[in-house]
Amino acid sequence: MRASRALIYVAAGLLSALFLFPLYILILIAFQPPKYTLISTYPPLVPKELTLANLVAALSGTAFIDPFLKSVETATLVGLITLALAIPAGYGLSRLPSRLSYPVLVLILLTNIMPGVIIGIPIAVQFIRAGLYETVVGLALAQTLVTLPLATLILQGTFSAVPRDLEHQAMIDGANLFNRLRYVLLPNSAPGIAAAYLISWMFSWDEFTYAILLMPYHSTLPVTIYTDITRGNLLAGAAFSVVFTVPVIILTYGLQRYLKGQYISGGLKGAA
Amino acid sequence: MRRDELRFFLLVVPALAYIAFFVVYPAFRAVYSSFVLPNGRFSLYYYRFLESVGLGEAVVDTIIVTVGALVVQLALALAVASLLTKEFKGKRAVSTIMITPMGVATVVAAVTFSFIFEVTGGYANSILHLFGLRGINWYANDAMSLLVVILSDAWKNTPIVALILLAGMTAIPQDLYYAAAVDGAGPIRRFFYVTLPNLREFIAIALIIRGVQEFNIFALPLILIGYHPPLLTTLTYELYTTSFPAVGPSLAAATILLVFILAFLVLILRVRGR
Repeated sequence: MRASRALIYVAAGLLSALFLFPLYILILIAFQPPKYTLISTYPPLVPKELTLANLVAALSGTAFIDPFLKSVETATLVGLITLALAIPAGYGLSRLPSRLSYPVLVLILLTNIMPGVIIGIPIAVQFIRAGLYETVVGLALAQTLVTLPLATLILQGTFSAVPRDLEHQAMIDGANLFNRLRYVLLPNSAPGIAAAYLISWMFSWDEFTYAILLMPYHSTLPVTIYTDITRGNLLAGAAFSVVFTVPVIILTYGLQRYLKGQYISGGLKGAA
Repeated sequence: MRRDELRFFLLVVPALAYIAFFVVYPAFRAVYSSFVLPNGRFSLYYYRFLESVGLGEAVVDTIIVTVGALVVQLALALAVASLLTKEFKGKRAVSTIMITPMGVATVVAAVTFSFIFEVTGGYANSILHLFGLRGINWYANDAMSLLVVILSDAWKNTPIVALILLAGMTAIPQDLYYAAAVDGAGPIRRFFYVTLPNLREFIAIALIIRGVQEFNIFALPLILIGYHPPLLTTLTYELYTTSFPAVGPSLAAATILLVFILAFLVLILRVRGR
C-alpha cells in the first residue's frame, strides 16, 4: 500500500510538472534578457537574471494597445450576442419535451463540427460586400458560432433547474412571459448566465481562425501575436502572450465548475 | 406540436435562424462554389488543381495528426483521470493545475511550443543537453514536424479529454471494483476489465469532440510548421491568401476537409453503435 501511495505522488508530481512546464518556459522568455533565452544555444532552465525590459518595450506604444482593445471589444460583444440568442433558446429548450428539444440541441451542437475555414471564407466574401469585413461587429457575429452551442447547453441546464412552480405562481399573479423572465427566471439563473457570458468571452478571446479570415489587418491579439512571431518579433510575441494569458487563466480557475466534463458531455451523451 | 410547445419553440427560432444564416448557408455556398467556375459552368477544375499543389500529402498528414493527437490525448487523459479518482493530499491543487492549459489560448500554446522546439535555442534541446545528449533538429523531416504538432496539441487539449473521462470514471459503481478485487483481479486487470468497458460511452464522446477539432486544427500547425508539410486547413488558408479573390481551390480543399469530418463522425457513431 505504501508503494502505491508513493506512486500516486510521483504521478501527481510528474503530470503537474508536464502541465505547467510550457507556461514556465513562456515566463522565462518574457522576463529574462534574450542572451539567456532566445540567443543561447542551450537556454538555461533556471532563471539567471530577471528583467521587465522585454515587457515594457512590447507594451509601450500602440502595437499592443490597439489589438488588446480589439480583443476586449470583440469578446464583450460576442458575450452579449451569445446571451441574446442563448437565453431565449436555452429557456425554450428547457421547457420543451425532450422529443422536441433533443434534436434541436443536437442541431445547435453540430454547428461546432463545421470547419472554420469552410464557413469563414464564404463569410469573408459576403462581409466584404456588406461592409462588415475588418469590423468588430462582423468578427463578433462569426465568433458567436463558436460560443452559442456551449452557452445554450449551459443555459438549458440552468433554466431546467428553476422550479416550474415559481413560474406558475407568477403566472397566477398575471405575469406574462417577459415579466416571468425578468422577475423569476433571470434572477434565479444569474450564476449560469454569468458563466455562459464569461465562457463566451473566453472563447472569443482565444479564437483565431475567424479572426485571421475576417480581420486580417488590424486584428485581435491572437492574430497580432501570430504576425509578430512570423516576422521574427519573438520577444514581443512572448510578452504579449503572457499578458494575454493571465486574465484567462484566472477566469478558467474561477469557472472550473462549469468546465467540468458532465456539462460538456451532457448534451452529447444520447447523440454520441 | 401543441400550442404551448409552439410558444417555447418560437424562443429557439432566433438561434436557429442565426445558425441557418451563418453556418448552413455559407457551408452550402462553399461546397457549391467549389464545383462552379467563374463563368457559371460546373467543373472539377479546382479539385484537379488541388492535386497538383499537394492535396494527397495534406490528406495523409491531416489523418496522421488527427489519429496521433487522439491516441496521445486519450492515453494522457486516462492517466490524469485515473489519478484524480484516487484520494491523496494535494488532489485539489493537481486538478486545478491540470485545467491550466484550457486557459491558455491556442496561439499562445503554439508560440510557447515553438520556443520549446526551436532548433537552436530551444528548451527541448536544453533538456536533452542536461542529460548529455546532442540537440535534435525537430523539423528534420515531415514526420518529426507532425510529431511536434501532435505533442503541442496534446498539451493544450488533454485537459478537456481528462475531464470527460473523469466524469465517466466517477460514474462507475465502486462495487464493481470490490467484486473484481475479491475475484483476485489486480489494478491492471481491473483497469482493462472494469474501467475501460464502462468508459466506452465517454471515450466515444471525447473522440467525437476532439476528433472533429483535430481535423480542424489550424493555428497550431500554422505557427509551428507553416505550410510544410501542409494540412488540409493550412492548405486551404494558403490557397485562400494566394488566390484571393478567386477562392475556388481553397473552397475545394475546405470541402474535402468537411467530407473527412463527416466520414469520421459516421465511423465513430457506427463503431459505438455495435
